[in-house]
Amino acid sequence: MVTVDMPTKPLSTVPRIVAVAVAVLLSLAGCNGIPVDPDGTLERASGGVLRVGMSPQEPWTASEGGERSGVEVGLIEEFAAGVDAEVEWHDGGEESLIGDLHRGELDVVVGGLTEKSPWVDQAALTRPYVVVDGPAGSPEPHVMATRMGENALLVALERFLAERSTEIAQQVGGEAP
Amino acid sequence: MTRRGERVAAALADQIELPPDKSRVLRRAVRLEWLSLAFLVTAVLAMYVALGSSQAMKAAWIEDLLSFLPPIAFLITNRIRAKEPTGDHPFGFHRSVSVGYLVSASALLTMGTYLVVESALGLVAAEHTPIGLVTAFGSTFWAGWLMIAALAYTLVPPVLLGRAKLGPARDLHDKVLYADAAMNKADWQTAAAGIVGVLGIGLGLWWLDGVAAILIGASVSHDGWTNLRTALSDLMDSRASVFDDRTTIHPAVAGVRDAVRADPGVDAVQVRIREEGHVFHAEVFVVPATAAPLGDADLERIRDTVRAVDWKLHHVVVAPVRELPVGNLPVP
Repeated sequence: MVTVDMPTKPLSTVPRIVAVAVAVLLSLAGCNGIPVDPDGTLERASGGVLRVGMSPQEPWTASEGGERSGVEVGLIEEFAAGVDAEVEWHDGGEESLIGDLHRGELDVVVGGLTEKSPWVDQAALTRPYVVVDGPAGSPEPHVMATRMGENALLVALERFLAERSTEIAQQVGGEAP
Repeated sequence: MTRRGERVAAALADQIELPPDKSRVLRRAVRLEWLSLAFLVTAVLAMYVALGSSQAMKAAWIEDLLSFLPPIAFLITNRIRAKEPTGDHPFGFHRSVSVGYLVSASALLTMGTYLVVESALGLVAAEHTPIGLVTAFGSTFWAGWLMIAALAYTLVPPVLLGRAKLGPARDLHDKVLYADAAMNKADWQTAAAGIVGVLGIGLGLWWLDGVAAILIGASVSHDGWTNLRTALSDLMDSRASVFDDRTTIHPAVAGVRDAVRADPGVDAVQVRIREEGHVFHAEVFVVPATAAPLGDADLERIRDTVRAVDWKLHHVVVAPVRELPVGNLPVP
């Protein structure tokens, strides 16, 4: 084994900074619920208001004379109740709702979104919670959209949807992913 | 594979007339590079499986892909460099090492620049990275932990490999190996930055991911730039320098000058030495001490004197002249 002096470069402090940062973050991680929302969405909604955008798409979402119905409406109401939140519904087209979501004016958007949604750059899609055959006969994994980077909310919603997955699959005649 | 690599290295070492101790080092270097490639394959696969939307994580993965270049450059040039000279290539193929070095240095610089630009764009756009749940090993948990585990796996081996390569790089005067050691340094640093970034996302510090990647990118770019300048300078026939610093003249330059100047038949001497990969090409202009011309025996003695200075002095041309050539740099 040849022993060598590592050449010291002016930037050799960088690895040291990185090592310290890892240590500090790991110790922080130990005493905190991970992941945390950068904007505290889930914390704000718990015991408060969950702002949900809805574009009508049966059987997932529907609205008639102020009465909302559909699989995803039910799921959102149940999820909100679980965190002691009141749902504040906002109606609109998918594109404008996703825009509001991206700007932080909404927390969640539902409306029969699938994994192939073109909105991946502007919204954080949940994991698929049910797979049903689409109009073309190919299987479509269904998802919901949450605000980008609000990972505590994303993870909480994903956990909730995973629990309901089998039940929903029976209800809509699909399969749990 | 390793045994075959060793046999190839041994055969090449004989051809290129490496001293016995150097061919042992060369065999070790070949082994290290095969080991690096084997590790990289597993690292790239592990990262691909865990790959999420973290900027630093993605950068670390692309960086691992680029890390294939230096070991491959080393193993390819290792097969080419000691080939016999041909009519088309009368100086032989030693320069292939310099070309391999250029490739490796470019990979390093590309990597660093990519990291900085990509992360800066993400920061400016205030991209908040989403990381959700993942199901692996029969349980469901935050995907960030899986990413951190994959990154941690790619953290330790490059530190060891990089350190192990520096010795052979110096002993063999092999700059490809040196650039590869720098690449290994970049490897483990980006992995560490990736861990910081993913942990940052977990703690709600969305910007930490980008900042960590930029810091590491700057460090990698600096290494890449330094190595690229050396590679270009070598290909421009700059005077021989030590393997890890372009600005430090190789001691063989002064060594040859002093050794030849000490020859009784020589009045004045000018030496030009350029690098051709592992080996040096030296042109020695000598002005005879007396009016009598230098005989064959004198010239052979001077050639052997030059060769004795360093094993790298492979091609030596000794030219007796009436006066030192003008238009060249004076003897330092």
